[in-house]
Amino acid sequence: MNTSTEVIAGVGLADQARKSLWPARLDWLQSASGLLLALFMWGHMFFVSSILISKDAMWTITKMFEGYFFFGTAHPWIVSVVVACVIVLFVGHAFLALRKFPINYTQYKLFRGHQKLLRHGDTTLWFWQVFTGFALFFLASVHLYLMLTRPHLIGPYESADRVWTENMWPLYILLLLAVEMHGGIGLYRLAVKWGWFAGSDANASRKNLKTLKWAITVFFLVLGFATLAAYIKIGIEHAPNYGQHYVPTWLQNAPGAVK
Amino acid sequence: MRELAAWGVPWSRIQQGDREVIINSQKVTITERAEAQGLVAQRDFGGTKKWRTCYVSDGTGHAMLQTVSDQAIGASIPVHERTEAIALIHDGSRCYGAIVRNLITGELVAYVAKATAIATGGAGRIYRVTTNAVICEGIGTAIALETGVATLGNMEAVQFHPTGIFPAGILVTEGCRGDGGLLRDVDGHRFMPDYEPEKKELASRDVVSRRMEEHIGKGKGVQSRFGEHLWLDITLLGERHIKHNLREVYEICQHFMGVDPVKDWIPVRPAQHYTMGGVRTDHTGESATLKGLFAAGEAACWDMHGFNRLGGNSVAETVVAGMIVGEFIADYCDRPENEVDVPMGLVHGFLRTEQAKIDALINGRGSESGDAIRQRMQEIMTSKVGIFRRGEDLASAVEELQQLLVKSRNIGLRYKVRGANPELVTAYRVQKMLKLALCVAYGAHTRTESRGAHFRQDFPRRNDAEWLKRTLATWKGDDTLPTLAYEPLDIGRMELPPGWRGYGAKDYIDHPDTPKRAAEVEALKQQLAGQSRFAVQEALLPYAAKLPKSLQGRNERIDEMFTNEAAK
Amino acid sequence: MTDTAVQAAHTADAAPVAHRRLRFNILRYNPQDTGSVPRMQTYELEEADGMTLFIALNEIKEKQDPSLQYDFVCRAGICGSCGMLINGRPTLACRTLTKNLDAEITLAPLPFFELIGDLSVDTGKWMRGMSERLEGWLHAKGPEPDLRRLEERMDPAVADQVYELDRCIECGCCVAGCGTARMREDFVGAVGLNRVARFKIDPRDRRSDEDYYEVIGDDDGVFGCMSMLACHDVCPKNLPLATQIAFMRRKMVAIGWKK
Repeated sequence: MNTSTEVIAGVGLADQARKSLWPARLDWLQSASGLLLALFMWGHMFFVSSILISKDAMWTITKMFEGYFFFGTAHPWIVSVVVACVIVLFVGHAFLALRKFPINYTQYKLFRGHQKLLRHGDTTLWFWQVFTGFALFFLASVHLYLMLTRPHLIGPYESADRVWTENMWPLYILLLLAVEMHGGIGLYRLAVKWGWFAGSDANASRKNLKTLKWAITVFFLVLGFATLAAYIKIGIEHAPNYGQHYVPTWLQNAPGAVK
Repeated sequence: MRELAAWGVPWSRIQQGDREVIINSQKVTITERAEAQGLVAQRDFGGTKKWRTCYVSDGTGHAMLQTVSDQAIGASIPVHERTEAIALIHDGSRCYGAIVRNLITGELVAYVAKATAIATGGAGRIYRVTTNAVICEGIGTAIALETGVATLGNMEAVQFHPTGIFPAGILVTEGCRGDGGLLRDVDGHRFMPDYEPEKKELASRDVVSRRMEEHIGKGKGVQSRFGEHLWLDITLLGERHIKHNLREVYEICQHFMGVDPVKDWIPVRPAQHYTMGGVRTDHTGESATLKGLFAAGEAACWDMHGFNRLGGNSVAETVVAGMIVGEFIADYCDRPENEVDVPMGLVHGFLRTEQAKIDALINGRGSESGDAIRQRMQEIMTSKVGIFRRGEDLASAVEELQQLLVKSRNIGLRYKVRGANPELVTAYRVQKMLKLALCVAYGAHTRTESRGAHFRQDFPRRNDAEWLKRTLATWKGDDTLPTLAYEPLDIGRMELPPGWRGYGAKDYIDHPDTPKRAAEVEALKQQLAGQSRFAVQEALLPYAAKLPKSLQGRNERIDEMFTNEAAK
Repeated sequence: MTDTAVQAAHTADAAPVAHRRLRFNILRYNPQDTGSVPRMQTYELEEADGMTLFIALNEIKEKQDPSLQYDFVCRAGICGSCGMLINGRPTLACRTLTKNLDAEITLAPLPFFELIGDLSVDTGKWMRGMSERLEGWLHAKGPEPDLRRLEERMDPAVADQVYELDRCIECGCCVAGCGTARMREDFVGAVGLNRVARFKIDPRDRRSDEDYYEVIGDDDGVFGCMSMLACHDVCPKNLPLATQIAFMRRKMVAIGWKK
């Protein structure tokens, strides 16, 4: 493989099998999948929060993703395809991240004892990252499956009905908290893990990154809760008409409005 | 240095071009040649005229140690950590190894060896105030002494450093005074000009140390729970200077005392710094009296330092002696006549004796406290056998140390565990340390002159006529004093006959042979004027043949480059 | 400050000041002694100006309890022997000032390493094993150099960089503070990764990235690090551990995708 094998230590390594390259790849894949998921979540959050602008804005974005403005008709299966991709990423990321979990009670106990004794910020954050990651196995799965199978039920009324009348709001509160915590910590960890933005004074950069991380988390939590509240409000108001689809204002009086 | 460089020491390297340095508080610009770029750099240190000290930024010793340790691991050399030799196995003429105690399990093991080397460093901890590490208790030196056969040389030669921070004893550099720092007493009075109107704080290490102790002796020290100290005031140097030029001092003050030297005075007191004496060896590092016993570094009296030591020479000795003595030990082990034919009865006898001593400490009904004895010994050494030595103090120190030695044979333990037991360790070590302390105190008392770091207030002159000789101490059985003998030095073979060494009183008493040799040296130099420095060296003091074969021959230098033939 | 003012300040200092009474809760346990069980023992001591834990522990041992085990060697922060948990945080006892701590101080031995007794742990044994595993010594290029010839030249800036990483004193604080190491005892720790980085940047070492991959290219090596960075934050020598681990991770991942 390379000439330095024999001389690496003069301890007969030449006869040994080379170390597997997979740990390197898995490490990279874990980070890459995490990064993609985090970026997706940012985008996703902006899209769903369009409800804060208006129902029409949210409707427009939804239909845009269903290819309505491209094909002239809505194709919710496009959303299903995107969701399927996210599921693949999500499952892949979860699978890779499992390597880092405490795998038995002894490890768990050791880590928790260590965390409590050390009282060190990034160590404590790691625990919360694992904790929220674990919660996401279940919380995110439910949501992703719904989106995969019912892509046509995304919209100002449709989503609001799901949140309120279909009792999804408790799950969404937890999901929101878990996603924003997990993603925020994860992005910060990615930066320090790979030495991004380290600059000439790595300690100062890390401090700034940490501040930025909290700022982003707070921003998305505020945005997220405001959005959720908006859907709940619409959901309560729309409960009597549960199941009815939203029709944008400019089409409400038009014949043959989009379903 | 080159071997260490090849092993991985990241020596600071020469950067070609101009740079500014401070020499004697003056800014000077030095220009490095382009052809020197990337070679190992050297700086001035400890006031030597020639810039000759290689360094690794601010952590020379650590970097060297790390590299040598790495190489030892790379060569699969086992290191038995947390074990200590407590006696040497010998038959009165040949050393066969050592009885070694495992500090974790308490088990005694006999290590049988063709050659045994002692490299345990100095014995600073026989003093209360010392810059030495906590483990510098001189036990290696002491077990050589306890053979009754091996000799210790020049034990009374002990160097002190004026500015150890108090009470921890960590060194702050002399640069503090060099740059304009002042010494103050309990009243905040700057006292050095009273004693040394000309040089003030800038007097030599020994003089400043002595004056500080003298001033404390006059009751001008600052009282604290750990004893008395004086103040080092560098506040007048300003924040910028302290945080940049004296960064290390700043950090030591912050970390180890919580003192901000920009605003506060630093508590200091002269501290024991270096043990020039040690196991007396010949040039190969072997004891002249106990075959198969070698010593190297601070634990040895290899004659690199004499009665005082220059800055930088301590680490230099460690690696140079390590290289040379190490080579000689390997050669020694290779020679068939040095095969050991160990009488097993002898080995067992030593093992039994040492075990019995430990058993006696654990099971005995002694009433003395090892810690108390140790503390008293350290106090006596610091107050009476320190920088400033007087006959009567030394006599009373010798007297009391002897009493302590007798007491130490009656130590009782409160904590009777055989394994890891610090009380037991203190107990058997203090018995050994007291013997070293007595070698120092008794040697200092007997040497009625001042020489190097040994300063007798009652005999302030160096007296070559009577005292140009090496002190040799041996210890016989249950004695309470060492047996001292003196070995004269041969001036006729000296390259640099005794003269004024740039410090201390100039009014020394010459040895009768000195003028003769001085004239000889002068004549030789004139005769060989114009010849190469190698020829001059060969005529004055040939030494090449005394080196191990592998180390003989010239070394290439930037101004003495080898041609290809010369390299052969 | 004027001379007289300083003097006044210091003479005032010399007047007796009421010192705090410190309470040390120290973990006592001697695994060698079959009758010994781990317990906390309390010692009281009057604080002094500029008191470090080195001074305090020595006073306890000399005056109160000669059986107390702890390690100090250089007591100047350069040998790395006195690492211990001070109020839960791994650090060097010799350079910890009591005035920076509360009057109630809890001391425990460094976790992870083999306990010798009380506050004393065998870091040396682990460090040796680590060094053997990582081949933590310079692997020189070519045959042994002729030491009588001029030494190989080295760029002064590179020499300084190597020294920067060579400042590690192997005190074990990074490993004791590492959540990964606590859960997975084969993890090589920041001390090990820093060691490899030190040789990697040393132009005198002949090893290639492939060779380093052989020793740290797995989940016990650089990919085991979960970037909690307690190592970096507790390092008494302020080594740039975060950036060095990130550096090695980038290099090792590059090997993973090279083939």
